[in-house]
Amino acid sequence: MHGKILNTSFDALVIGGGIAGGEAALNLVNNGFKVLIIEKDLSIGGKMILLSKVFPTLDCSACITTPKVSEISRHPGITIFTGSEVRKIIRKAENSFEAEVIKTPRYVIAEDCTGCQLCEQACPVNVHDQYQYNLIGRKAAYIPFSIASPRVAAIDIENCTLCGACEKVCPTKCIDFTQETEEYHIKAKTVVIATGFNLFDPLMMPRYGYGLYKNIITSMQMERQLAPTRPFNTILRPGDGKVPDKIAYVLCTGSRDVTVGNPICSQICCMYSIKQAQLLMGALPMADVTIYYINIRSFGKGFEEFYDQAKGMGVNFIKGKIGRISEKENGNLIMRYEDINENIVKEAEHDIVVLSVGVLPNTDSAALFPDGELKLDPFNFVYQTDPLASPAKTSIKGVFVAGTASGPMDIPDSILSAGAASSEAMSYLIRK
Amino acid sequence: MNKKIGVYLCHCGGNISDYVDVEKVRKSIENEEGVFLAKTTMFACGDANQKEMVDDIKKNELDGVVVASCSPKLHLMTFRAVTERADLNKYHYVHANIREQASWAHSDDKAGATEKAIHIVKSAIAKVRLAESLNPFKIPSKKAVAIIGGGVAGMRAAIELSNMGCPVTLIEREHFIGGRVAQWDVLFTTNETGKELVTKLYNDLVKRDNITLFTGAEVISNKGCIGDFKLKIKIAPRYINEQCNQGNLQKAINACPVDVPDEFNFNITNRKAIYHNFPSEYPQYPVIDIKHCTRCGECEKICESVDFNQKEEIIEIQVGSVLMATGFDSYTPADGEFGYNRFDNVITLPQFKRIIELSDKKLIFKGKEVKNIAYIYCVGSRQIEGENKYCSRYCCTSAIYSAIQTKKIFDNIYNYHFTRGIRTYGKQEVLYGESLKDGDIYLQSYENDPPVVFREHDKTIVKINDILTAKREMSVEADLVVLVTGMVPRADNSVASLFKIPKGRDKFFNEIHMKLRPVETVIDGITICGACQGPKNIMESVNSALSAAAKSFSYVSKGELELEPIIAQIDKDLCTWCGACIEACPFDAIKMEKQDTKDIAVINNSVCKGCGMCLPVCPTDAINLIAYSNSEIESMIDALAG
Amino acid sequence: MAGMNIKSAKILVFSTEKISDPAIDMAGLLKLYYPPTVYTISIPCSSGVKSRWILHAFEKGFDGVFIAADGSDCPYGESCTEKTGKIVSRTHELMKQKNIEPARLRMAAICSVCSESFVKQMKSLNEYLLKNSII
Repeated sequence: MHGKILNTSFDALVIGGGIAGGEAALNLVNNGFKVLIIEKDLSIGGKMILLSKVFPTLDCSACITTPKVSEISRHPGITIFTGSEVRKIIRKAENSFEAEVIKTPRYVIAEDCTGCQLCEQACPVNVHDQYQYNLIGRKAAYIPFSIASPRVAAIDIENCTLCGACEKVCPTKCIDFTQETEEYHIKAKTVVIATGFNLFDPLMMPRYGYGLYKNIITSMQMERQLAPTRPFNTILRPGDGKVPDKIAYVLCTGSRDVTVGNPICSQICCMYSIKQAQLLMGALPMADVTIYYINIRSFGKGFEEFYDQAKGMGVNFIKGKIGRISEKENGNLIMRYEDINENIVKEAEHDIVVLSVGVLPNTDSAALFPDGELKLDPFNFVYQTDPLASPAKTSIKGVFVAGTASGPMDIPDSILSAGAASSEAMSYLIRK
Repeated sequence: MNKKIGVYLCHCGGNISDYVDVEKVRKSIENEEGVFLAKTTMFACGDANQKEMVDDIKKNELDGVVVASCSPKLHLMTFRAVTERADLNKYHYVHANIREQASWAHSDDKAGATEKAIHIVKSAIAKVRLAESLNPFKIPSKKAVAIIGGGVAGMRAAIELSNMGCPVTLIEREHFIGGRVAQWDVLFTTNETGKELVTKLYNDLVKRDNITLFTGAEVISNKGCIGDFKLKIKIAPRYINEQCNQGNLQKAINACPVDVPDEFNFNITNRKAIYHNFPSEYPQYPVIDIKHCTRCGECEKICESVDFNQKEEIIEIQVGSVLMATGFDSYTPADGEFGYNRFDNVITLPQFKRIIELSDKKLIFKGKEVKNIAYIYCVGSRQIEGENKYCSRYCCTSAIYSAIQTKKIFDNIYNYHFTRGIRTYGKQEVLYGESLKDGDIYLQSYENDPPVVFREHDKTIVKINDILTAKREMSVEADLVVLVTGMVPRADNSVASLFKIPKGRDKFFNEIHMKLRPVETVIDGITICGACQGPKNIMESVNSALSAAAKSFSYVSKGELELEPIIAQIDKDLCTWCGACIEACPFDAIKMEKQDTKDIAVINNSVCKGCGMCLPVCPTDAINLIAYSNSEIESMIDALAG
Repeated sequence: MAGMNIKSAKILVFSTEKISDPAIDMAGLLKLYYPPTVYTISIPCSSGVKSRWILHAFEKGFDGVFIAADGSDCPYGESCTEKTGKIVSRTHELMKQKNIEPARLRMAAICSVCSESFVKQMKSLNEYLLKNSII
């Protein structure tokens, strides 16, 4: 493989291999259309595959995602490029899009890798594991995570020292440092944008002290600690490895907050925090869990009942705004907050603080098309031109949006939105 | 027949192995008769293990496979597909549930859970030993979909299916289409009116020759199943001819002496027995409400289009899939609930929205100009005493939007919101911000201490202990109290029982899987969308409608369907023909036939659903259900008892 | 043996794939504990249980049998409750003939979310079987 340019054509180009992109692709392929999924990451499954359990059913997320992922990855009508990005898409005419796709090398011949992990053991380099949200380390030669699809190794070339240890131990000789970036010219009749969302980075809120105090983590880091493919076999606070027993959640971190430029509500943080609280009560029966909130937004099917259940289990809910967080010598955290029920400022001590970070747009989608052809809404999500009658329609004819690319939503809403996008894409393909 | 069986025991990343000693299970079953290999795996459903299974099956020519993992509802299909990829007939796969029914159910008793898991796996092995290859029946699937409910969800699904080239029958119970959205004026997000949205969809709909629309129509019977539903539809007459003279009709309406509450306006106004809801209502000609018509004949005298000879029609259609979009009812408060039906200035949010639309320049209610409006939230939702525990999702946004509109349209309006915590989720949050900027006052009650509405010196007062001012008692003298009522399931849900659609705890229709399959139901071939599945706003309803359209289309697009070959079988020799099985069969799948010298019962393979109701009634035990035969069940019992 | 670990009765449950088995699954999901000597065989519909299977279970050493019936939720028709009821009464007759205490066979409708009611049924049947020294 020598950076060659390949030409190939599909009915639909789906950008993003998370749960929304995957659902859209399955709907299309099950009705006879040929689909290409472009995924930036090394595995498909998006954020959902990394979650612990899902609200309000407490289904194990990995368990319900893996069959979908597996169905997507082995469907003969779906082609998947992982570790790939769309550089640009041009709409040539009705039913005719041309895309330039860049596939970065994995430095592993994916077909030959058995996922034996010997290379991982041999690799001497240790770096932060992005799939565990930096809670632990990984090697430069690594399998992204145990239920990744494809579950094959990759070389993190930026951190690799080229020592060759992995090559020596690989039983199938599938490590190949000669791989080069490949460029593909893709033709497709319709495009589905399923580029998902970014999580708010709490470093933008210095008053909370994230990054400064070790025992403040994000909700995604807690999610990883609770997942079946968790980094530790228990819940730990990162500062000293102590099992926490006074846990605080700070809702609306980076949401409903004009000071960080995000005035809207992220729609999922209340519920995932309540879910984590329930899971924590199960994992650490002696622990106190307190959720500091402005409003609890348990609005979906079964959500209010789930919120009631958490209250029944003994999760503390405090209507209060957090002023700032400071650290004690023992690593515990002092939260200064306004208790709205009593209208006074109070302080409370917790040994770990979880910031329930919000949903931000993935601004990659804007750059897909030239000259701002793909319009964004005031919050930089993909603009829906007819949100009530055709929610999947975008400013470009033949391009449809699925899932959180158009705004915050939970899993069922993403699935419904993906269903809508695939439905519109299909009628676009059939109707001509 | 000696089987070579492969057994895979899943750790489920600890979900199983934390409570069940998976290795002990492996050791206990590896020497069972027929077991060729027994392995444990971290995630049986993971791609790597699936690949390994395919290789194992091919390399060792396995002809029986058992995976012991989670519930078959999650992964039976996954592993059947694995065996198929290894060129083994999928009915040689048996699933053992050692998670939901062992590790999780008995996490208080690890030894007990392990012991149970061993027995469960042994019984699966016993079953797979007797497994035989089966091939699915192919049945034709009629490329047509019936959509029940002509609100925005149903209309939008119809248009999408029509786009995909699929014929649609759209069945609306009311005489006019558009459902709830037709009742709304300006809508949040796009600022178009509900009527404009309905008109836009209707104009698109009527252009298409593959959509048949029936109004005043109800499904009265349903026979058949996926691929072949036979529906009987009763169409009520309008008593007015289609090519009518609009001018004379209007005169006829004016002449009608009957006065009944107008449901379109949520009973805040009255209408005649001959009526339409608004001038551009679709279809664009009125109807006679025969229940309330006194047959005085006044309209007939004026308008030649009135025709009392029109008869009710019953037609039959055949479709491959049914899409339900039957919508919701608005919650009706109980008498005295926050003063409803006690004080004449207490109304519901839907009534309020109709009043805004019907008012001109000044907001007048019952002859008095309205200035102070109190909105009481969560009426009929999040009930502490009542049954409706759920949040109705759309009402916070809807009430705030109405409050903002009211200020825009009328002068001197003061809005007071008595909330239980505002839930303007997502981008709707900006609306809440706008309302605060607009000077609307927000108060919030304690969970067990709702606001009180009472009368004092001819004034209506709303009183609250307010959280936001640290429990200060606040009261507002309201000219109008608007109860922000939620969504409830349709009171008349007879059509759902025709199709046996299951309902959830909240009494809305239940989907097959809340997270990943939100528009499918356990009844094959039937999809659900819009608010009949649970409260939704318009965009969410339309998203679900389009999803349901895609799913329904996938049932009919290929013109044929594969059905499970799990059906009843009759042993000709044992059958002595008594007719008991015909009595027992709910699907008319059994017929008597003369064979050789005697009469016997014969199963119609494409009609039999494999329920097994005929099995226990047979006096000679001549009927077996494929894959649930006496020998299979009894060998499973033996394994479990051992 | 006194104290925590009382021996529990061996119970065979006939559940139905679409209705009662999901409820039993959910009992596990919600960690509503019941004796681990409760075993399930799942079939399409509770109206399809044959008396001979039940008798076979008793012969092979099960202490109790429970039919987790579809009830009014049955996807195959409204007659299900009545039909399952008939199976039970017919089997009770056969059990009497074989000198098996009829109370060892019970049925109840278990809807797809009736996890708590399922667990109650299991506990009550287990208690009955233990108290009447069936085992």
